[in-house]
Amino acid sequence: MNIQKIRDEASRALGRKDVKYLIGYQKGSYGFRVSPAFFQTKEEVERLIFSPLCQVSLAPYLTLEEVVPLPGEEKQKASKVALLARGCDSRAINQILAEKGIPRDRLFIIGIPCEGVIDRRKIEARFPSVTEPAEVREENGKYIIAIGDQSHEVPKEELLADACKVCRYPNPLIYDKLTGDKVAPHQANYDDITSWEEKPLEERLQFWLDQFSRCIRCYACRNACPLCYSTVCILDRLDPQWVKRSNDTSENLMFHVSRAFHLAGRCVSCGECERACPMGIPLMKLNRKLEKDVNDLFSYEAGKDAESKSPMTTFHVEDREDFIL
Amino acid sequence: MGKIKVGVYICHCGVNIKSTVDVDKLTRFALTLPHVSVAKNYIYLCSDPGQELIKKDIEENSLNRIVVASCSPRMHEPTFRKVLRSAGLNPYCLEMANIREHCSWVHKDAHKATRKAEGILAASVAKANLLEPLEEKEVDVTPTALVIGGGIAGIQAALDIADIGFKVYLVEKEPSIGGHMMQLDKTFPTLDCSACILTPKMSDVGNHPNIELHTYSEVVDVKGYIGNFKVTIKKKPRYIIEEKCNACGLCVPYCPVEMPDPFNMNLSKMKCLYIPFPQAVPACYVIDPKHCRYTLKRECKQCDPVCKELKAIDLKQKEQLIQVEVGTIIVATGFDTFDPTLKPELGYGLYPNVITGLEFERLSSASGPNLGELLIHGKKPKDVVFIQCVGSRDKAVGNEYCSRVCCMYTAKQAHLVREKIPDANITIFYMDVRAFGKGFEEFYDRVKQEGVMYRRGNVAEVFKRKDRLIVRAEDTLMGQPIEVEADLVVLAVGMVPRQDTAAVAQILKLSQSADRFFLEAHPKLRPVDTASDGIFLAGCCQGPKDIPDTVAQASGAAARASIPLSQGKVRTEAIVSYVDERACRGCALCVEACPYEAIELKTIERAGQLVQVASVNEVICKGCGTCVTACLCGVMQQKSFNDEQLLSMIAVLGERYE
Amino acid sequence: MSEFEPNIVAFLCNWCSYAGADLTGTSRIHYPPNVKVIRVMCTGRMNPLFVVQALRQGADGVLISGCHPGECHYLKGNYLARRRFMLMRNLLGFIGINPLRLRMSWVSASEGKKFADVVTTVTEDIKKIGPQQSFTREAV
Repeated sequence: MNIQKIRDEASRALGRKDVKYLIGYQKGSYGFRVSPAFFQTKEEVERLIFSPLCQVSLAPYLTLEEVVPLPGEEKQKASKVALLARGCDSRAINQILAEKGIPRDRLFIIGIPCEGVIDRRKIEARFPSVTEPAEVREENGKYIIAIGDQSHEVPKEELLADACKVCRYPNPLIYDKLTGDKVAPHQANYDDITSWEEKPLEERLQFWLDQFSRCIRCYACRNACPLCYSTVCILDRLDPQWVKRSNDTSENLMFHVSRAFHLAGRCVSCGECERACPMGIPLMKLNRKLEKDVNDLFSYEAGKDAESKSPMTTFHVEDREDFIL
Repeated sequence: MGKIKVGVYICHCGVNIKSTVDVDKLTRFALTLPHVSVAKNYIYLCSDPGQELIKKDIEENSLNRIVVASCSPRMHEPTFRKVLRSAGLNPYCLEMANIREHCSWVHKDAHKATRKAEGILAASVAKANLLEPLEEKEVDVTPTALVIGGGIAGIQAALDIADIGFKVYLVEKEPSIGGHMMQLDKTFPTLDCSACILTPKMSDVGNHPNIELHTYSEVVDVKGYIGNFKVTIKKKPRYIIEEKCNACGLCVPYCPVEMPDPFNMNLSKMKCLYIPFPQAVPACYVIDPKHCRYTLKRECKQCDPVCKELKAIDLKQKEQLIQVEVGTIIVATGFDTFDPTLKPELGYGLYPNVITGLEFERLSSASGPNLGELLIHGKKPKDVVFIQCVGSRDKAVGNEYCSRVCCMYTAKQAHLVREKIPDANITIFYMDVRAFGKGFEEFYDRVKQEGVMYRRGNVAEVFKRKDRLIVRAEDTLMGQPIEVEADLVVLAVGMVPRQDTAAVAQILKLSQSADRFFLEAHPKLRPVDTASDGIFLAGCCQGPKDIPDTVAQASGAAARASIPLSQGKVRTEAIVSYVDERACRGCALCVEACPYEAIELKTIERAGQLVQVASVNEVICKGCGTCVTACLCGVMQQKSFNDEQLLSMIAVLGERYE
Repeated sequence: MSEFEPNIVAFLCNWCSYAGADLTGTSRIHYPPNVKVIRVMCTGRMNPLFVVQALRQGADGVLISGCHPGECHYLKGNYLARRRFMLMRNLLGFIGINPLRLRMSWVSASEGKKFADVVTTVTEDIKKIGPQQSFTREAV
C-alpha cells in the first residue's frame, strides 16, 4: 500500500471536471483516531491518509449525502463523487448499485486492495489513554505503531478487526482506478456459526436475551451500515409501529431480528455495525448466520456485481423444503 | 376520516353455528370491542330478512364498517358485499369472521368453541376498524378473441365466437387446421367418418368473415391483461405464397426429396414439398425447411420454375412477426399420445408389428398409407391383440390418470378389424372397460357380440418366439397367466400433455395440474376458466376427453370468452397494492417479486430531485401482496391487507381465548 | 394445574390453505381449538417478521400455510415464501427460539384431512415445548 500513489490518484480524480469532491480519510483529533473527510481540491489531498487505522467504511456516505432534498430553486447537479473503496466497500457499492440506490455514472471509485484494518477498541485496549498523534503501518505480518517518538511492534493478529480475519474479498470488485497490489483472500470460515448451533437452545436464547437487554437502541448499527439506507426505516415508523420506542428486551429482539432479516442477501460483512455499537453486542454473528444460509441454500453472495437479482425475489423449483409439512 | 361505527352481525346458520357457539354471549362480547355500536345475532343472515336487517341498521345507525361472523368468506363475501352496496356503503368496508367452517363445525367443546369465536371476532373487528373504502376500476375490452390451436376444440371455439359476432384470430402450429381428429378413421360410438364430419367445419373456418386464420404460426409472446392482451405471432415461412397457391400439386413430382409423412405417423413417405392432406385448410402447399435442399444447402430449386403462371413458390420467404390486440384468449393446444417406448416390455420400436392406436387409425383410414386395407408386411393379420391402458393409470410412467377415450377407441378399432378381416382372432387385454358416454355401453356390447375376446389382465410382456409375437398376460378372472399369439399388437396409448405445455404455460402464465395438463380455475365450478382472467381452456389441453366433450367444452369456453367481449368493459381487482411515492427509494425489489410484471419504475420529482419510484398498474395487479413483503421500507402496501391491519389482528390474537 | 393450551396463530392463503381449512369444516373433521386464522391472499404476503411479532404478543406458535409449489394461484408467491421462511426459521433457531414455534405447510384446497392433521401435529408439538414467555412484549 503506497500512500503516495493513493494521493496521486486522489489528486487526479479531483482534477477531473466531473468530480465534485472526494471522500477519504484524514487524521483524527488525537491518538489512533482517524476521521472520514471530504476533499474538494487537489491541494487538500495532502491531508489524505490511508492506513490500517482507517476502519470506518466510506460507502454509507454515498446514500447519505447525495439524496437529501434540494433547497429552493437549486437544481440537481449531475456530477461525480469520488471515494476510496476497499474490498468490502466495493461490495457494498455493488449491492447499492444493484438496488439502484445511486447511478453508476455518479461514482468515481478508487479501488484499494486491503490487507485488513485495526479494530480501534483492540488497539486502545493495548495502548490505553494515548493522546499524542499515532501512526500505524503494516510490515511482514506485524503492525509498526509510532506513538509520539516511540515505536512499538505488535503481531497483526492481535489487533486485526474480526471481520478482516475471515475476509474473502480484500480486492475491490468494482473500481474506476485500482491502486495497489492484489491481496490473497482468506478461506470461508463459518466455524463459529456452526459451533454455536451445537449449543443447546436454552443456552443460545439466554445469551441473546442478555445481549439484547443491553442494547440502548441508539440505532448506531443501522446508521453505520452501508446497506441500511431506506428513506423511511420500518424500525422508525409509527404507521405501523413494529417496535416501540422503549428499549426493553422484547423490542430490542424485534429490532435486531428485523434488521438482520432485512439484510439477508444484502449484508456484505463489512463489520461496521459491530464497530459502531457502543455496547459491544456481537451483531456480526447474526448477519453472518444469514450470510452463510443465503450462500448454502441459494448459492448467493451479496455485492459480487451490480446486476445480480436478489435471492429474496427469485427462486428455484428445487429449493429446500424439508421443514415444510 | 369520520368516526368509525362498526356493526357486528352474528349468524346462527340455523343450528350449524348456534349449537356449538353461544351466539348470545358472542353478541355481548362484540359490544365490548372497539367502536362497535351495534351487535346482533340472527338465524340466517344470508337470507333476505337477514340481509334486510343489516341494510336497515346501516342506514338507520350510520354504520360505516360491518363485521359478519358466520360462514367462510369464500361462501358469502359477495353476498354481503352486495348488501353493503345496496345500503350505500362501500362494499370493501366488510370483514367476515369465519366461525362456522373454522370453528363450530370443527370443535366439539362448546365453551372452547365460543372462546375461539370471540378471538376470531375480535381480530375481525380490529381489522374492520382499519378498513378503507376501495374503488373498483373499469377498463375497455378489445372486442377480439385469440384461439391458440386449430384442432376440433379450437375450430369449434373460433366458429362460436365468430358467429356471436366478434373477430377471432385462430393460430395453428401446423400448416393446416384439423389436429388429431383429422387423423382418425371412424369415431365411436356412431362410426362417423372423422374427416367427413370435420372438414365442413374446417371449411367454415376458412370462409368465415370473422376468422383470421394464421396457420404454420405460433404465439410467441403475450403481454397485457384481460381486455387488453398484446400478442406476438410468429409466422413460419412456407416458402409458398399462401394467397397465390391453388393447391394444384403440379410442382410436387419435381421435388427430389422424400421424407417420412408425419400425418401418416411416419408410416409412409411424402415429398418435402407437400400438403398435409388433401382437404387441408388453407389449401396451400408447404416446403419443409429441415429437408429441402435449397433451405439447407442452397441447391436444387427444381420446384421454382414449375409454378410459372401463379409464381407461388418463394424460396426466399422469411419468418414474420406480427402483433395483434385481443380481449380474451382460448387455449386449445390439444394433446400428444403417450410414447410407448417408455414401456419397453411392450416391444414398441423393437417389433414392427407393434403399433399405437393412432398408427392403427392411419392404417385403417381410407386416406392412409394402405388406402384402408389393414396390411402388416403386405399381409392381412390373422391374430390381433389390443392392449388397453398403455401409459395411463400407470404410476410407473408418471401418469396416474385415466385417458378416458382408450376403452372406447379400442372397442371401435376392434370392430373395424372385425369388419375388414371377418375371421380374425381379436383379443383385448383390459383392466376395466369405461363405457360411460351416450351410446358407449351399447357399442361395447355390440363389439363383444362380434366375437371380440375381452380378457381382464395387465400385459407383462410382448416378445418374439421363433417368428411369432407372443403377448403374455395374467388373466385375472381365470386366475392364471396366458399367452396369446399375435400378428399385430395395437397399444391403446393414452393422452399426455403436449411437450410444449410448459413453454405455453410460461408465455400465458398458466399453471399445470398434478397431471401436467393445464389447470382450470376451479375443478367443478370453473372448468374452462384459468386463474389468469381472460384466458380460457378448451379440449384435451385441459385433460383427456373425447370429441363430444371437446366440442361441448369448446363452446363453453367460447361463451365464457365472449362475456367480457360483449360487456365491453371489465372490472379490475380492488385489493391491489399501492406505493407511498414520498418514501419509495426505487430499489425495484417489488418489480422483481411481482408474478405479473404489474409494477414498473417511473421517474418523479421529489423535493427538487428526479427520483425513480415504483408504480403499480392497478389493472394488471391481482392483489397477491408478494411485493409488499419484498419491500424493505414498508412503502408498498396492499389494500385491505396492509401491515397495519394485519399487525392489529396479530396483536389481538395474542390474547389467550381459553 | 390445568394442562397448557397453546395459542397458535395461523396465516392461511385464500386460494389453497384457507379453502382446505374450509373443507375440513365442511367435512366435519375435528381438530384442537388452539389455532386462530388470519386470512391473506397468498403466502407471498406473509412477512416473516409477522412471526416474531406474533410470538412476542402472546402466540406460542405460528403456522404458515399455502399452496403446493407449482400450484400457487399467483404463480410464485409460495416459492418466495419458502425461501423467506426457511431463513427466518434458521435465524430464530440461531437465537435460541425453538424452531417448532414456526411451522410451515402446503395444504391444497382439497386437503381437508391434511389441514386437521397439521393443526393437530403443530398443537401437540407446541404443547410439549411449553408457552413462549421469554421475550413477551411488556404491557403499556
